[in-house]
Amino acid sequence: MSKFSDIKKDFPIFERAINGKKLTYLDSGATSQKPNSVIDKMNDIYKYNNANVHRGTYVLSSETTSEYESVRHKLQSFLNASESDEIIFTKGTTEALNFLANSIANKLMGEGDEIILSEIEHHANIIPWQMVAEKYKLTINYIKVNDDFSLNLDDLSSKLSSKTKVVSIVGESNLSGMLPDIKEINNLVRSNSDALLIIDGAQLVPHRKVDVQDLGIDFLVFSGHKMLGPTGIGVVWGKKELLNSLDPVYGGGDMIEEVHYDKATWAPVPHKFEAGTPPYVEAIGLGAAIDYLENLGMSEVEKHSDELREYGRKVLLDIDGVNVIHSEQDIAGCTFGMYVDGVHAADLSLMLDTHGVAVRAGHHCVQPFHRKLGIDATIRSTAYIYNDKEDIDTLKSALISSVDMLR
Amino acid sequence: MSIREKVDEYKKILDIFPNDQEKYQYLIEKAKENDSFPLELRLDNFKVNGCQSQVWLVPEEKDEKLFFNSDSDALIAKGLVTLIASIYSDEKAEDIVSSDIDLMEEFELGVILSPARRNGAYSMLKTIKEYAKNLVS
Repeated sequence: MSKFSDIKKDFPIFERAINGKKLTYLDSGATSQKPNSVIDKMNDIYKYNNANVHRGTYVLSSETTSEYESVRHKLQSFLNASESDEIIFTKGTTEALNFLANSIANKLMGEGDEIILSEIEHHANIIPWQMVAEKYKLTINYIKVNDDFSLNLDDLSSKLSSKTKVVSIVGESNLSGMLPDIKEINNLVRSNSDALLIIDGAQLVPHRKVDVQDLGIDFLVFSGHKMLGPTGIGVVWGKKELLNSLDPVYGGGDMIEEVHYDKATWAPVPHKFEAGTPPYVEAIGLGAAIDYLENLGMSEVEKHSDELREYGRKVLLDIDGVNVIHSEQDIAGCTFGMYVDGVHAADLSLMLDTHGVAVRAGHHCVQPFHRKLGIDATIRSTAYIYNDKEDIDTLKSALISSVDMLR
Repeated sequence: MSIREKVDEYKKILDIFPNDQEKYQYLIEKAKENDSFPLELRLDNFKVNGCQSQVWLVPEEKDEKLFFNSDSDALIAKGLVTLIASIYSDEKAEDIVSSDIDLMEEFELGVILSPARRNGAYSMLKTIKEYAKNLVS
């Protein structure tokens, strides 16, 4: 029996019915559901272990601190980072990108320097750069996207120059499931510039084995809540020498070595970037999520996603009247953007909800790319480890009946 | 008919439908019946804040009463705003202001009438009340 066949029983949310129907949750790209092990772990901390980390010299605090710090080690091994100090905890991907944009622009960039993003970035990988670009007089260039939703790497090559200081690219598209060739991008960046390469792994890390040393990139950011963990916790992984060279963006407790009335010195990485009380319960919850994924095995998680994607391609691509936005590359995420001519995405998702099918409707925080495609809004189905072929079948039949009603 | 009577009337109709799907179907029919909103009035200054669907609301004062014409680019939302507009149309501003009916509680339309900032119908309800309030003061 496959590890995935009985997996829904680990997730209490699947016990409830929606509109009298079984829940078909296909919005894991927005947030994933949580297994009992994550929920129980966080409950246990609050019930029996709660004390602030890095502060108390008593049993509770020391236990919580070592649990919290052990998650850094789990993440080191999960990402194959060379040191656990390379793991910085943040609130999520958005805060991670805001921190990197501000810290890098402040320390390493000056007027006229360039940032390269792509046309399919979600807002979290656009707005922080726009904000620092205005402040430091920087220029942003966007890599074009091909008709099959892949990134135009010739366009990247032509835009790279000695002025390029940052390239920040999505690791997996949240609309089409497209997986950019990160190694190839890394090669192009290295041979045509001295830029830092940041990968936005919000959609990639939950689904695929990521080896940061093998990829050769400089920074990786991602969120805990899209990979079975709680909200309010995210990660920046960065090369140690780069993290050492950057200054903190937030000041406060726990990030200092010495404080005087007129100056302060920073604690070593990772702590200099973690001002104030960290979300330690959420970090420990993320640790439980990683245990759960490692127990399944990330290669199995990838295989499951690939099988579901192939099934999705088989059943979703030829529904009468339904246009699909999905990567045409062989390997992609199990993510399908969809729209129906003459039918509003909000209507479609409301009708799908009456079938117990939860999908996202709107522009999924990729407004510029929707505008480029000439579409106001789409619905989006994103699958995760607890989804199965039956869920895709339910989506298909609910789509057919909903479109029928709305036309 | 007073605001209360109109709400009760719609409640009676919506209660006939046993599930959300049939309620939505009724709203879709309401939307299709409402073809009185001229496309050229889909202007930004008549737009009510919403994100998942766009909603337009044009208020008019006639014989000391208020009338609302509404539209949306999504069908279910359009049905709902048509219904809300008809409840508060042909009423005096002070009656709208003094009415403390909670439509969300009256109509069991949780998902489409929830107080989310992205919800056009909810924002429209607030806009109608604010409009009436400004007239009274």
